[in-house]
Formats: sequence, structure tokens, C-alpha cells
Amino acid sequence: MSHRILIIDDEDDIREVAALSLETVAGWDVAVANSGAQGLIRAAEFLPEAILLDVMMPGMDGPSTFRELRKNPATAAIPVLLLTAKVQSSDQRRFADLGVKAVLVKPFDPMTLSTQIADVLGWS
Amino acid sequence: MEPSAQPELQHAIDLLWAKFRPEMEERIAVLEMAAADFAADRLSQSQHEAANTAAHKLAGVLGTFGLTRGTVLARELEIMYSRENGPDPAVAAQLASIAAELRKLVQNRG
Repeated sequence: MSHRILIIDDEDDIREVAALSLETVAGWDVAVANSGAQGLIRAAEFLPEAILLDVMMPGMDGPSTFRELRKNPATAAIPVLLLTAKVQSSDQRRFADLGVKAVLVKPFDPMTLSTQIADVLGWS
Repeated sequence: MEPSAQPELQHAIDLLWAKFRPEMEERIAVLEMAAADFAADRLSQSQHEAANTAAHKLAGVLGTFGLTRGTVLARELEIMYSRENGPDPAVAAQLASIAAELRKLVQNRG
């Protein structure tokens, strides 16, 4: 089944590999944004079923973007999965406490990223 | 995943690697320069921050392109550069040798 997902990440390499992976492996409909501000606009337009959101971005970072998504009734209920290269458990707990659906760690395996996301969201 | 999708995805990932390899090499150059300047006791605050960011970004992406060892090495550098006052002088040689190993890994990926 095809799903709609938005990837928000300032790093072109990560964004392009993730999009490629989700489109090729899972056949999902993927939209992308390269900043938190652009992500808020794209989320309201595209209305994805889930958002993959990078933590460390210049300007509006992942946690701030998440809080803004929650303020907009159109995007408030969309499940958000944070993507981070921070591996310390204290960082992971801090991110999980924000109320996101899951925290995924970079680097991800492009072959299995969609399965990881689908498992978290019950799309399997 | 459909069995036919795997080679297709791998080929597409290889094309993305070719596209982004110069960016990876730029990040490694930042780490090489920071290691040299740290050894010469002239690492600036902005260089220190740039090295920390470069290591963090490499740690997050190299494994995605199959360079798991690259992620491990970049994480080591990130830890060394994440100290507020700069790396421990005792690791000066390691900063350079790890950056050199990263350079080799990226070159060998093709």
C-alpha cells in the first residue's frame, strides 16, 4: 500500500538517499523539505501520513519544527519520527520525551528504512 | 522489498555517492586541516566548531553509503571535538590519523 511521507532534512545527501529509498523500496509518495520553515509549509500542503524530521538543522531545528507542527491543527496529529546522528542515550531520551512517535538513528540502511518506519507506524 | 528493487536501489545509491562524494571530501578536508592546526597549537574556535560539525555529518551519512567503519571513525572524531575547550592534546596524533583513514575509505568507495 502506498503511503505519503514528508522528509525534512537540511543535508542534501541524507534527504536524497532517504527519498530514493522510500520511493524505490516501498513505493511511497515522498515529499521533501530542506529546512524546518520549509517543512512546515510543505506539511500543511502535502498533508503526509508521517514526517521524518532531522534533529540538527540550522535555524529552526527538529524539536522546534515539531512544536510548530503541533500548533497547527492541520498538522498537529501527523506522527513525527525524529532522525538523528546523536547516539547517546541521554540525547535519545530527551528527543523521545518531546512526544514524537520514534527516534531513528543515522546512519540508516536504505534497504530497510521503510520497514523500520512501517513497523513504528503499524503500516506493516 | 521486491528482489528486483535491490540492484536498482544499489545502483541509484552509487550514483548519489558519486554526486555527494566531493561534499564528503570537503568535510574530510576540514578535519585534516583542523588536525594539522591543532597539532600546531593554532586551532581557532570556528575551526573547532567546523570540525565538530563535519565529524557529526560524516558519522550520520557514511554508514548509509555502506561505509560503516567510516561512521565509527567519524563518531570518534566527533567525541574528541565535542569537548568545550577543544580536543585533549593527548589525541593530537589520532585526530590526524583518523582523518587520513577516513580519506582512504572514501577514496576506496569509488
